[in-house]
Amino acid sequence: MTHSPTTPPMNADVIIVGCGPSGMAAAVELATAGCSVLVMDMQPAPGGQIFRNLEANTRGRNPGSKSVLAALGPSYRAGVALIERFRACKGIDYRSQTTVWEVRPDGTVGWLRGMEAGYVRAPCVLLAHGAMERPAPFPGWTLPGVMTAGAVQTLLKAGNLKPSGNIVLAGTGPLLLLLATQLCHLGVKPALIGRTDNFSHSLKAMRHLRGGGLSPVIKGVGWLARLKAKGVRTVSGLTHLAAEGARKVEAVSFAAGGRRERLPCDLLIVHDGIVPAIDIPNGAGLALQWDQTNASWRPHTTTDGLATPALPPELEPDHCAIRITGDARRIGGADAAMAHGRLAAQAILAEQGKGSGITPQHRKAVRKALSVRPFLDTAFPPGLSASLPDDATIVCRCEELSAGTLRAKIHAGFNNMDALRGETRCGMGPCQGRNCMVSAARLIMEAHNTSGPVPPTFRGRPPIRPLPLGALASLTGLDPRATELLTLEDKPEHDQEDKAHDPAE
Amino acid sequence: MTRQNKTALIIGAGLQGCSIALFLAKAGWKVTLFDKNVAGRHASSVNAGGLRMLLRDWREYPLAQRAMWHWANLDQLVGAAAAKSCEVRLGVSQIALALDEAEMSWAISRAEDMARRNLGQEELLSRDAVRSLLPGVSGRALGGLISRADGHANPAAATRAFREACMAAGAQIVQNCQVQGLAPVGGGGWRVTTPTGNHEGGVLVNCGGAWGADVAAMAGQALPLRTVAPSMMVTARVQPFLGPVVIGIDRPLSFKQSAVGSLVIGGGILGKPCPERDTSFTVMDRMTQSAAATLEAFPALAHAPVLRTWTGLEGATPDGIPFIGPGPGTPDLWHVFGFCGHGFHLSPAVGESVAHSLVSGSLHPMLAPFGCNRFAHGANA
Ligand SMILES: Cc1cc2nc3c(=O)[nH]c(=O)nc-3n(C[C@H](O)[C@H](O)[C@H](O)COP(=O)(O)OP(=O)(O)OC[C@H]3O[C@@H](n4cnc5c(N)ncnc54)[C@H](O)[C@@H]3O)c2cc1C
Repeated sequence: MTHSPTTPPMNADVIIVGCGPSGMAAAVELATAGCSVLVMDMQPAPGGQIFRNLEANTRGRNPGSKSVLAALGPSYRAGVALIERFRACKGIDYRSQTTVWEVRPDGTVGWLRGMEAGYVRAPCVLLAHGAMERPAPFPGWTLPGVMTAGAVQTLLKAGNLKPSGNIVLAGTGPLLLLLATQLCHLGVKPALIGRTDNFSHSLKAMRHLRGGGLSPVIKGVGWLARLKAKGVRTVSGLTHLAAEGARKVEAVSFAAGGRRERLPCDLLIVHDGIVPAIDIPNGAGLALQWDQTNASWRPHTTTDGLATPALPPELEPDHCAIRITGDARRIGGADAAMAHGRLAAQAILAEQGKGSGITPQHRKAVRKALSVRPFLDTAFPPGLSASLPDDATIVCRCEELSAGTLRAKIHAGFNNMDALRGETRCGMGPCQGRNCMVSAARLIMEAHNTSGPVPPTFRGRPPIRPLPLGALASLTGLDPRATELLTLEDKPEHDQEDKAHDPAE
Repeated sequence: MTRQNKTALIIGAGLQGCSIALFLAKAGWKVTLFDKNVAGRHASSVNAGGLRMLLRDWREYPLAQRAMWHWANLDQLVGAAAAKSCEVRLGVSQIALALDEAEMSWAISRAEDMARRNLGQEELLSRDAVRSLLPGVSGRALGGLISRADGHANPAAATRAFREACMAAGAQIVQNCQVQGLAPVGGGGWRVTTPTGNHEGGVLVNCGGAWGADVAAMAGQALPLRTVAPSMMVTARVQPFLGPVVIGIDRPLSFKQSAVGSLVIGGGILGKPCPERDTSFTVMDRMTQSAAATLEAFPALAHAPVLRTWTGLEGATPDGIPFIGPGPGTPDLWHVFGFCGHGFHLSPAVGESVAHSLVSGSLHPMLAPFGCNRFAHGANA
């Protein structure tokens, strides 16, 4: 590849951020068609969230990983084939334990591995960084002993650690029920599953059932049957969840079926569904859209995953190099992620004059895998985060700011995201707003008394993940057009004696 | 004379605008501030909060010294509770570190120069003195300059304190209201045009910060200004080890440890300004030099993780000091902008001296070096 001294060289045909189902499927498709692909992921092995640590657990001989493998069931083991193909593929440069801390719409990606960091570039960057759990502030959610379902699953998969004691699960969504079944399988029987969804949601959801999307529904019915057989108590329509305790959670209280209840509890596992992780797209200055049903943002993309920059014209590249796939684009689960990863790969190949093009089969596979979404969205609407927290509840846990503090500031005129952040430090902590951004935006919308078109986000700035000073000091792959040292030259000059008594005015 | 009606309009409700408003309101004037954003949203609340006489341009010295007095007695200006919130830490000292021969000889001649001018706040530091004052400093440090009375304050809290104090004194702040035009009023005074209507006042003060030259242009006055976006970064908390603020001489270095242990790193590295969009962008390709300068001075900090970066918009004049004074031929239209990255410190004294000049009708002597005419064709500066 040729390059002038002013434009930095390309490091690959495609850079993929994230090595879960969508990233791996796309990488295999691209490399098979002859592309050089660079795949970066912060985990030590391929798999993403769903297939986390799968290679080690299938290879592992210790009883811990055996029983975890059995408990996690076929949907976990389903990743083995894809991971093997990914590993075997020539043309894929896989960089594990590599954290991406900046992405630019021109195809520049900032990475960190240990104490080394730099920029790499490609004509196309595919973001396959996945989803995050929907943040749901409720009274007591910051107490030790309150964990999200995703975090518990990570401990199971990566550490083979299983919880013990009085366990309560609360919230909604397939992952909550799946985790409960997995725990039962490991011999850990939860004291209660408190579902925020209720029978009327399920009833309404039935209307969205399509033949193609039946298998996830059947899976779900199976989980429920197993939980019932184990005698796990389940309530639905749960509201007013609160974790109580002095130093750690000691009890949970909630309302269900018109009754208030309080249960002793050592571990409260909460889950309110998952939403696309927007820290990378937001930091890259890409357009986001608000998904009202899911009370979350998602990046604005074409069906082929092409993103749309929303930067000032002078910063906008001639052409946007970024595509987004998998759950990072739209929540759809592993099958949809793989199908869309392949579709996005074909779109990239077509752009680079390679591959066989997008076929109707590619699109059909995506549609089929996504066809269960309307059912799931209706059956499991946001619950814990459905209404905004009361004044006493913490919204920004890094800076310990309550909803009441934020409401007061919004009322006093700090009624846009960046002004609110500047005034209160909301979103300035180590999580960079990942946990509080939706709540802050919704509090502002509440004050404006509108549901608004698209609530704004905090302006994202690099690094979106912590970057050690030493790594930053020796960044490689800098853009020569940007490195020109521009400083505020304010070192005073000496010897202006002659002017000392002769001021200009 | 219109000044007799004791009304002032101020464009820009940053620190300079609010400080001037505070002193004018206390003198019994009726003051209205306009800001196109929320008051204090820009440079005033995002800066490094440095309060330093160290390496201060001699032309700013009297003003900076007066400002120091105000920072030390802030409760008298904004009230005890607000003053406490500003976390003013004076006396922790600021040190300019010499890491090579050139920087050391510059430090020596700077010390001589300031002694000759009788501006004696800076002391030369030996290699050993630097080492004992700055645990963990690089073995390459040759010495430096110290100004012991210096320190820092919390800029967001200080901006809030001045905003609230000027409102308590009776000034009115109109937020989210962009001034789009200015015109002199027949018989004296000025009128400003905003989307929500026109306003008139006896005196108009342009505290437009990075946009100051645009505001001046509305009155047909061309003042040279470069819009810059100084960048900052902050690390996770590390074990407290550093009291003084450390700044570089030829290196893009400026850093201090906050009370909670995080390192706040500046150094004048510039990001990408976008003043038309009210924002600016971090350019990490340049921040690398600021990280390198920090590690050159304190090699043990390599593992401290940078959590956040930010930039703010500031105006820079060609000679490194601000415009403070009436516009050419417009005694009732004042310009107060172009602080070149050191206006936070100066703001209380700027408010006092500008208000004093407006109330008395004659320019405060401390403001003599900052005349708006100094770059005009034929000016002898
Ligand atoms: C990153 C950084 C670090 C710094 N570090 C230090 C330091 O350590 N020590 C120090 O002393 N100084 C420091 N400074 C400089 C200091 O912040 C500024 O000099 C000072 O805040 C200037 O105050 P201001 O009120 O003039 O500007 P601003 O706070 O920028 O206020 C100007 C206001 O004018 C408004 N405005 C402009 N045009 C219009 C219009 N047409 N209509 C209505 N409103 C308008 C703007 O919205 C803005 O709010 C730093 C600056 C930056 C950016």
